[in-house]
Amino acid sequence: MKPWTLRPARDHGLTPGERLRSHGREPGLGSRAVAAGWRTLVRAYLGAAHGLRVDGLEHLPEPPFVMVANHGSHLDALTLAAALPRRMAANAFALAAGDTFFSNAPVAAFAAYAVNALPVWRRRTTAADLDALRARLQEDRAVLILFPEGTRTRDGVMGPFRSGVGALVAGTPVPVVPCFLAGAWAAWPPGQKMPRPGPMRLVIGAALRFEEVARDREGTMRVAAVCEAAVRGLGTVSR
Amino acid sequence: MIGQTHGRAVTLGILVAAGVVLVLAAAVIGLLSATGRGSPALRRELWLRLASWAVLLPLMLGPVMLGRVWVIGAVTLLGLLCLREYDRATGLFREPVMAGAVALGILFVNFAALDHWYGFFVALFPLTVAVLAVVSLPLDRPDGYIQRTGLAVFAYMLFGAGLAHLGYMANDRYYQPLVLLLLTAVAINDVFAFTAGKLLGGPKLLPGTSPNKTVSGALGALCGTTLLVAGVGWPVFRGTRLEDPLLLVGLGVIVSIAGQGGDLVLSSIKRDLGIKDMGTVIPGHGGLLDRFNSLLLVAPAVFHYVGYYVGFGMDQPTRLITG
Repeated sequence: MKPWTLRPARDHGLTPGERLRSHGREPGLGSRAVAAGWRTLVRAYLGAAHGLRVDGLEHLPEPPFVMVANHGSHLDALTLAAALPRRMAANAFALAAGDTFFSNAPVAAFAAYAVNALPVWRRRTTAADLDALRARLQEDRAVLILFPEGTRTRDGVMGPFRSGVGALVAGTPVPVVPCFLAGAWAAWPPGQKMPRPGPMRLVIGAALRFEEVARDREGTMRVAAVCEAAVRGLGTVSR
Repeated sequence: MIGQTHGRAVTLGILVAAGVVLVLAAAVIGLLSATGRGSPALRRELWLRLASWAVLLPLMLGPVMLGRVWVIGAVTLLGLLCLREYDRATGLFREPVMAGAVALGILFVNFAALDHWYGFFVALFPLTVAVLAVVSLPLDRPDGYIQRTGLAVFAYMLFGAGLAHLGYMANDRYYQPLVLLLLTAVAINDVFAFTAGKLLGGPKLLPGTSPNKTVSGALGALCGTTLLVAGVGWPVFRGTRLEDPLLLVGLGVIVSIAGQGGDLVLSSIKRDLGIKDMGTVIPGHGGLLDRFNSLLLVAPAVFHYVGYYVGFGMDQPTRLITG
């Protein structure tokens, strides 16, 4: 007889507060329903207020993969997740700054349930955190959305990519999908209270693979550099 | 009918007794703290358990006093929350189609109880199982079919068809003393088992499944709960066929065995999964299933035993919503 594989939820046994901040948080039926409703609203909004145009959806590989993009606005993660096909979006997680989005419970609950966000704590991400994220990617066939600049650009110019994305994918078969998002910074730059309507365009590029790259300092920085170049390249194309 | 003659007195007696037990427990723990006996960790654990009970008891006994709609509503909510814990522990939550179908089944069977439509209530067990067998076929993914269907049917059996029998009891005009008796008896069953086990010691009952249970504890719970249920059941069932002492002893035996059975079912599930508790929602206890597992098998067993000899709501109108 073929044995059953019984896997409790990764966050089993955590209290509700711990669960909100855990990298092992797995959405259940209720979370999925909330996320689906939110996705409908966001897609309607992006179409109506920003006339969002998405090019290159055919470049998306089968999950798992990591999406990287330039970061200028709170709209970025919402847009990338909303652009994904529904079956991938259900299992897509955005890495969001822990200090901004997970420091108090109501905001954490919103980030977790509506946007499927996972916290990343600046300067406090351990090797165990990276292992947990890598496990989510490979075992749960998830999609991770992250912004290697580490922060939203203040002047509209894309900054250098940090090596975190390299630490996640170097030496693994998980591909990185570079994306360029135009118009998000103009619509809602840091410091502005509300987003303003304006055209937005998302260009999705060909997937990059780093299976042969070593997961050491030189390897992870090389991954970051290659991804940065790819995203910049898409940026010139999108003009 | 049940409880027609002495029901009010029994209801009042059970509520007062529950309150007295809480106050006594608080006094004992307070005494422990005052005299400095027991480690701080033990005392903290005891206070936490008492506080959980102080919240749980009104949540359990309140709906029973408020009326049949409240009882059925509470049973529905309990079923859905237990399903959620089970889904997350077994991994069934990763199959939203199956988990959603079981949730729908729970809603339907409790609706049948609310409607007082016995035929539909009974038919829903085979019908829902049939639906669960086919609902994942369109996914065209036979890998894991038996596992997801088996887990779903098990879940519906326990939290839908099984637990809903407790709600259906509320269709009787004088259901209150019986339901209160069941709720308190299954809790006291655990206390009897624990106390008898600690006092008498002896061989373990099922060491691979539940390392703390002893044979003496099981037998002690059997005797204690049988006496309790038969004793309190006698005034409740005066004037019905169940006032026969032999039948009342039978009722007590069923409550104790089914209650302990539900506990062992949950222990087996947890051991198979390799987890310690079903959740963390009740401080000091674990999850809802860790607290309410005894009811899962007691509800249908007692329902059909009492239903055979007396019947539930036989003089009440049926098909209240759909008729």
